[in-house]
Amino acid sequence: MRITKRALVPVSLVAAVSVALAGCVGGGSSGGGGEVTYWGAFYAPTTEEAFQEIFVDGFNADSDAKVDMEVKELTTIGQLTETAVSAGEAPDIVYSDGPTSASDFARADRTLPLDEYAEEYGWEEKFLPWAYELSTVDGKVSSVPASYGSMALFYNAEVFEEHGWTPPTTLAEFETIAEEADEAGMVPLGGGNAGYQGMNEWLVTAVFNAAVGPEKIYDVLTGEASFTDPEFVSAIELIQSWIDKGWLAGGSESYFTTDDTANVTGLANGTTAMYVSGTWTFNSLSEVFEDPAQWAWAPLPSLNESVDPGVFPLAIGTALSVSADAADPDAAASFIDYVTGDVDRALSYTARTGENPPPLEMSADQFPEDVDERSVELYTQIPETSNVGYATWTFFPPQTNAYLISEFDKIVTGDLTAEEYLSGMQDAFDEEFDAGETLVPFTPQGRG
Amino acid sequence: MTADTAIPGAVLVAPPTRRGAPPSLRGRRLGARANRRLLAWVFVAPLLAVNLLVITGPGMASVFYSFTDWDGLSTPRFVGLANYAEMLGSGAVLNALVHNVLWTLFFLVVPMTMGLVGAFLLSRLRRGQAFFRVLYFIPYVLATVVSAAIWRQILDPDGGIGAALATLGIPFLADVNFLGNPSLALGSVAFINTWQWWGFLLVIFLASMRSVDPALYEAVRLDGAGPVREFWHITLPSIRPTLVFLGLMTVIWSFLVFDYIYVLTQGGPAGATDVLSTVLYREAFQNQSHGYASAVAMLLSAISALTVLGYLALRRRLGWEV
Repeated sequence: MRITKRALVPVSLVAAVSVALAGCVGGGSSGGGGEVTYWGAFYAPTTEEAFQEIFVDGFNADSDAKVDMEVKELTTIGQLTETAVSAGEAPDIVYSDGPTSASDFARADRTLPLDEYAEEYGWEEKFLPWAYELSTVDGKVSSVPASYGSMALFYNAEVFEEHGWTPPTTLAEFETIAEEADEAGMVPLGGGNAGYQGMNEWLVTAVFNAAVGPEKIYDVLTGEASFTDPEFVSAIELIQSWIDKGWLAGGSESYFTTDDTANVTGLANGTTAMYVSGTWTFNSLSEVFEDPAQWAWAPLPSLNESVDPGVFPLAIGTALSVSADAADPDAAASFIDYVTGDVDRALSYTARTGENPPPLEMSADQFPEDVDERSVELYTQIPETSNVGYATWTFFPPQTNAYLISEFDKIVTGDLTAEEYLSGMQDAFDEEFDAGETLVPFTPQGRG
Repeated sequence: MTADTAIPGAVLVAPPTRRGAPPSLRGRRLGARANRRLLAWVFVAPLLAVNLLVITGPGMASVFYSFTDWDGLSTPRFVGLANYAEMLGSGAVLNALVHNVLWTLFFLVVPMTMGLVGAFLLSRLRRGQAFFRVLYFIPYVLATVVSAAIWRQILDPDGGIGAALATLGIPFLADVNFLGNPSLALGSVAFINTWQWWGFLLVIFLASMRSVDPALYEAVRLDGAGPVREFWHITLPSIRPTLVFLGLMTVIWSFLVFDYIYVLTQGGPAGATDVLSTVLYREAFQNQSHGYASAVAMLLSAISALTVLGYLALRRRLGWEV
């Protein structure tokens, strides 16, 4: 077939216009007619399968609306969502890795206020008060917490028994175990940030809460105190002393080449004595330990006489919002409630996957029998204790938190002093606090 | 033909003049030229549209955002040159820039030399050349994440090559933490990237060497030259266009390096492997400072543009061809 120049002209113009229009036509919300788009990310294929069956298929069967889930990488879904929201291409249900990102979306009017839905579904009564409070921005409900957790001290029960150790509750007990572990050739305290620099804040969260205490952190977050106060300086210096002694991750160089899996493996094979991590570690502990019954957790010890032992820094791992571009916001909100608002359904997912449950009011007898008893113990202890604190990724504003993570490397290498590090953190916080970009933390329960 | 020699009764046709063809012929030529131009535009239009959409458009947007304070969500606020002033006074940017320069020097010297020497040696092989060419090229086709994961295992202080050698009684690498030691991390990542990269250079150089006229080698051999003089006086000058082009691209790519560093160290420990791209990424996607990140992007673009302009100036002055 002979292609003439005349024929080529319209073809070419159509191609050019099509290419140009492709960039102008937004995918936007692909909802409409009761269709809801959702991006999910999962620890393992079995977790994805459970979510699909329990939540997506269950909702689609029970409702007139239809949810279409697209699976993303767990490590990048937060950034993918931020980019999509920024470009106006977000799915109908917007994932956030905590209320901080969710509040940013709400302030920029990229997500819808959910007050009407909160009333319709009774979210204020369903969720734990601190979690519900965190979901509001400028008095409006902007997101719904989908999972929550805390930090704890993990150890190998068999190894502790062999050495005659019991979980430490004070700094002195902690350091005694660390010394003995060091002498026995073990890494006393697991840690590191290989592959994920965010691991820095797990340690900082634990030490801030256990050495500085929730009351003081609350004062800083409300502008009544400063990160440069002596309590914070002492806390960072405490970490530095562990690094200097080679207790943390076996030394500063190893810190940068040790990842979460290596720490859990170290616990399992008895080369690491203790590891401070979050409730998300439950899953990997059960997978890595040859005998899953041997791993155990304990509340964080007190690292300062003025702080009570057993503080639980609270964290919201996932928050869900409704995109401002959602074609069917009612259906989107309905799905969010389906995922987060029903205790039995949420716990059946936890039982099957080991994933953290949403921060719902729940009692021990509501947990199915197949939920790991160590998980049940933690999630029933938290609502009962008044000693709860603040996870940095949930309560710190984004730039302060980014500084905390990136500059902590210099604490490990010794390039920054505790004062210098904390001074920079306060500068970052001041800027965000003055701009009104901080969340209102719950009042420490000790203050009533 | 003129009117004096015209045959009676014949139709007089005005002869073509130097000033142009007769109006009808000139019109046809002009039309043909316009058609050719139109046809050129027809072929270029789709590509131009793609370029406008994915390069020029976002590029211009980046220029605009570099003058704003923007978190990626809210309305950008114009801040003039504040981002540039902050960037130029930033220790993190300076630190990253120094690392970029060191990285560039390393890649201009080490992999280029390895590729050149390797290609020259391979070019002298009469048998098995294809085998080695494939062997050295294999790392280049591996995904960055895969080769980074392999090398992370090899350099692991507890289970890698150092520990393995120590069990064989060779302990000198036993306590070396290549990626965890701030003094060694950048060099280690550069080494790993070189492992993947030099085979590509070798294959390109080898292809270029094959196009050198064999008569030149024969002539220089008759003059009694050995392999070193052959390489220096025949090979190198003959493949200079390839050498210059790859040198130019090495400079540009070195300032854009991101993947290996992000996968292996994320710029750590404590900024020891930070380059401009990792600073840009961190500012944009972790600190939500898209305006500032755009300013860093402008710096990167300016460096690449200066490199190309420098090359063009050299070419004009020295007459080099690519």
